[in-house]
Amino acid sequence: MFIKNDPLCLKCRSALKVKRKKVQIEGISFETFFDYDGIFKSLLLQFKECYDEALAEVFLYELSDYIFMRYQGYRIAFIPSSEKKRQQRGFDHLEKIFKEVKLKKVHCFEMKEEITQEGKNLFERRKMITNYRYTGKPVKKLLIVDDVVTTGSSLIGAYTCAKPYAEKIKLLSLAYKNSSIQ
Amino acid sequence: MKCLRCGNSDPAYFYKGSKGYYCRKCIRFSRLLLEEELEPYDYEISIGCQEYHFDYELTKDQKETSKRCLTKLTDGDVLLLCVCGAGKTEIAVESISAYLQKGLKVAYAISRREVVIELSKRFADIFKHAKVTAVYGGHHDQTKGDLIVCTCHQLYRYYQTFDLLIIDEVDAFPLKGNETLMNIAISSCRGRIIFSTATIDTNLKQVLKQRNYSSVELYVRPSYKPLSVPKTVCLNRYIALLYLYRMMKLMANQCIVFVTSKKDCRQLFRLFSHFFSCTYVYSDHEKRDENIRSFKQKEKKFIFSTTVLERGITIHNISVIILNFGKGFDQSSLIQMLGRVGRGVGDQGGETYIISEHYSSAVKNTLAYLKEANSHLEMSVLR
Repeated sequence: MFIKNDPLCLKCRSALKVKRKKVQIEGISFETFFDYDGIFKSLLLQFKECYDEALAEVFLYELSDYIFMRYQGYRIAFIPSSEKKRQQRGFDHLEKIFKEVKLKKVHCFEMKEEITQEGKNLFERRKMITNYRYTGKPVKKLLIVDDVVTTGSSLIGAYTCAKPYAEKIKLLSLAYKNSSIQ
Repeated sequence: MKCLRCGNSDPAYFYKGSKGYYCRKCIRFSRLLLEEELEPYDYEISIGCQEYHFDYELTKDQKETSKRCLTKLTDGDVLLLCVCGAGKTEIAVESISAYLQKGLKVAYAISRREVVIELSKRFADIFKHAKVTAVYGGHHDQTKGDLIVCTCHQLYRYYQTFDLLIIDEVDAFPLKGNETLMNIAISSCRGRIIFSTATIDTNLKQVLKQRNYSSVELYVRPSYKPLSVPKTVCLNRYIALLYLYRMMKLMANQCIVFVTSKKDCRQLFRLFSHFFSCTYVYSDHEKRDENIRSFKQKEKKFIFSTTVLERGITIHNISVIILNFGKGFDQSSLIQMLGRVGRGVGDQGGETYIISEHYSSAVKNTLAYLKEANSHLEMSVLR
């Protein structure tokens, strides 16, 4: 009743260490839970690039209740992937990951241009800042979520375009690449 | 339920996703839905690509073995069992040429990318009119060619494609004990397979049990020199260090010192770098290529290494010391490590030692194997 079934074995779970941090990029702060390396990186790549949906519950297994408590009253808004990727996968990867978090969810962002960030350098990734459009209704509290922060362009872009439509906005990312931010 | 690619039929490994059931056992090679149908990879073989030429003469034994291998392929698969340095690649060339002549698809699969790069260059020199394509992780834009040389992991791209597949070093990582990868390799071939190896382990025996195969053996190196039988010494770990110091002091040749772990590798380097010109290497070492190069160019006299140097490296006039502590090496690794000595025709050979805490069965079997192989050599020379 009180214990959830962990989809990971004990060995993998202990290797997947949660490192909760607050990070600031260009004056905008966001919360993050993992370092983008080791087992987290390999699990996320298997989930996102090999389309292994079975791994969806793995990432927030220990954190879904924490997110629910910490962000009560917020609506989760997902950073959109490119349509091509979504079609290939057959699922929205962020929606799958945050499925267990009992907060309301909205799809309120659209990409102006279908750009994939894969294999792009830091300067090309900066284009993402102006590549989002807010398509949802105005809300009081919005929690914008992403999987990995590299330059922060996606989060900043989504934050900037959602600002006129939400009274309070918080940002959250599963992981971030330390070196890229520096 | 059965996965077409890896042959898995255990229901625990199937998961129902948004698009249907898929196999999780081979998920790392991309998602394959259960209802998805795999098709053979289609490409054309160019005419005249089968012509080959060696810059050196093959020995009589190599020529005979090549012919036997090709003949046996008409009946089924072939287990090409050759001692280290016998020239397995050269022996496979005649069979490759015969298949290419018929316009059939051929691939040569091996475990490591470095070896793929080196081997594809060698094949390009041998088959001057053929397009030899190297396929490995990070280098798979071009996957078509007359002859595909690839890592075993890349075989998943070629379902039921090859008429002749040569799997080299079947007894080594990553194929060793990896049922999924072995099944993927086998499913890439619709014709015959040459399993090329120096030793047979239990995993390979199991694979061969399910297949119709004949053995082709070659126990003679082109130099017609016997395999070096190591001097074995059983010592306590700490006394072994003193013994190693003494041996290194007396050693005239360049020498590879094999150790069982990365930690040992680093610690021994730290200790002995004060006394000797040495370097060290292990699989994920940052300066791996640089350190190997400095050893090959004789800038360093000793190199401490894990199993990373047990295959695919040829250095003339070299000695080998194996520190068989902790978990210890298995028989196939020991044979490969000792096989680094005395390769090539003008090689004078060096000394070989195994230092271990106890006389393990792997060491015993290795010595028995070497003695048996050498007895075959004597018979061959007498012939």
